[in-house]
Amino acid sequence: MTKPYTLQELLVISVAREIHDYENVILGVGLPTTAGAMAKALYAPNATLMMESGIIDFEPLLPLNHIADAHSCRGFSYATDLFSAFTMTYRGFVDVCFLGVGQVDKYGNLNTTCIGDYYKPSIRLPGSGGACDFISYSKRTVLTMLGGTFSEKLDYFTSPGYLDGGSSRDDSGLFPKGSGPSMLLSTKGVFRFDPVTREMYLAQIHPRVTIEDVKKDVPWDLKIAPDLSETPHPTDDEVDFIRCFSPAASAGRQLSMELMIANLMKQNKL
Amino acid sequence: MTPPKNKVMSVKEAISQFVFDGDELVIGNYTVGSCAELVYEVIRQERRGLTLYSQSGIFDIEVLVGAGCAEKLVTTYVLRPAGRRGGSAVERALQEGSIQIEDYTNFQYNARLVAGMHGFSYMQVLEGAMATDLFRKRSFLGDDKYRVIKCPYTGKDVLTVPAANPDVCIVHVQRCDKFGNAQYWGALGSVAAAALASKRIIVSCEEIVEHDIIQSSPHLTIIPAYRVNAVCEVPWGAHPTEVLGYYNVDQMMYGLFMTMDGTAAGLKEWMDEWVYGCTTRAKYIDRYVSKFGSKILDAIRCKAYYSAPANYGPAFTSRWDNEGRERAMGLTLAEFERVLKERGKLYD
Repeated sequence: MTKPYTLQELLVISVAREIHDYENVILGVGLPTTAGAMAKALYAPNATLMMESGIIDFEPLLPLNHIADAHSCRGFSYATDLFSAFTMTYRGFVDVCFLGVGQVDKYGNLNTTCIGDYYKPSIRLPGSGGACDFISYSKRTVLTMLGGTFSEKLDYFTSPGYLDGGSSRDDSGLFPKGSGPSMLLSTKGVFRFDPVTREMYLAQIHPRVTIEDVKKDVPWDLKIAPDLSETPHPTDDEVDFIRCFSPAASAGRQLSMELMIANLMKQNKL
Repeated sequence: MTPPKNKVMSVKEAISQFVFDGDELVIGNYTVGSCAELVYEVIRQERRGLTLYSQSGIFDIEVLVGAGCAEKLVTTYVLRPAGRRGGSAVERALQEGSIQIEDYTNFQYNARLVAGMHGFSYMQVLEGAMATDLFRKRSFLGDDKYRVIKCPYTGKDVLTVPAANPDVCIVHVQRCDKFGNAQYWGALGSVAAAALASKRIIVSCEEIVEHDIIQSSPHLTIIPAYRVNAVCEVPWGAHPTEVLGYYNVDQMMYGLFMTMDGTAAGLKEWMDEWVYGCTTRAKYIDRYVSKFGSKILDAIRCKAYYSAPANYGPAFTSRWDNEGRERAMGLTLAEFERVLKERGKLYD
């Protein structure tokens, strides 16, 4: 019997397992940086972790605040600039990158810019940042969706997945052949993309979640893998690593904020 | 070239001399170590009609837009203070139509500055964006947001962005000499390109150091003195953001800002206290300490982890050796001059 774990831990671990040894990895802030730290510590000691701010080959000692956080590691191997971080991606030196999702359609195209009309948005989301260029030229891309939504039609098309599906991404001539999103992780399951139609399907389902739970978030008729499995149980080493490296990641945003505020009140005797 | 000039001045003098209404103003810093005090002074001096450039568009843009300084914004990222639920100053300004925004990817934004920095009129960017709404939806730059040209070598369609040469860059660095040689290390981002593309440059720094510190570590200099207009020594000048080697982010103050930034009234209240209510950074820190004590600031000071020294020393620094002989010819100065005379080289 292995150790009990939290859903947040399961999510980090599912992402970390997408990083292989000797790969060059672009990490976005939040869950991916914790996953990167874990992969580096447990199964990919020779991976080169990189951030678009130009911090290259770093070993995080603390959870990162943002993608320019040199305070979370003790030095790093290569200090370059943002421009070069993207041209190295363009030239094919990046194996995998990780992006967050605002809206996603069935072919893995992303919106992280706005909800509603672009010029007068009801919600203005962050924008592209590095997303559009990374998903264009990284060999593969892992999408992490913690608060986002599935959508038939994006309000704004920020970053290219498989465009109109099928071979349209490769046919466009704009992207390296075979590149594109390889998986999408949500709080309910793991989705992958059909090699022919490039349509997203449910590949794994997290514990305590039913297929109906997943389907009710998806506006199209979601396909389910014939060999649908439950997301594998984390190992004790994996759970131990996260709890030690980033207790807040184990607890999730809401609970960790609650505990932090309670501590602040106690400290200041409020 | 004119001889080196002492450019040290107060933040107030620097902004009043080098930032004007209607300027294109670029925030040099990217995500980390924001030039907070320079930004606050632009707000206090009530500059209007600015076109703001910011790579990361975080709290610096929120306060400038919230204060009504900007009409246009060129950026890649907009802060959301409380995730999906929390609005932002930029979102509010877009909704009321008081600001126009031109969205780029991180690379495209940086490429505009790199083109400007090198004196080119445009820069090639990554063509994948042609499939997206970044390419299709344009704001105040219209057709000039992007143009597609044919590569003369490969015949392929190439996506380009126009050079940007902002009127003024404000930027915070770790250290600088009084002439303006600015040293910065850590996440390099687009800091050098933002400064070097600009027509005027205002540098604030944690500390002003002697010129020989700069000479012994030129690999850390990102802006050379001859480009800089003003140098301002501003300890804690990026607070509540972080400066590598000086202090970490102040989670408490940043959290307070994020909480208040969710509404226009909240942001105004926060700025009344921390921007308008403090005329200098020293007064800001005094207010901070009198309100919260010094415990938090002490706790976020960086511990030492020094860069290994790089030896810039040569084998010798004079053509004459310890015995006063020329190293190659083996002659003393007197012997050498005798030879010059004997050979008829000397004119009376």
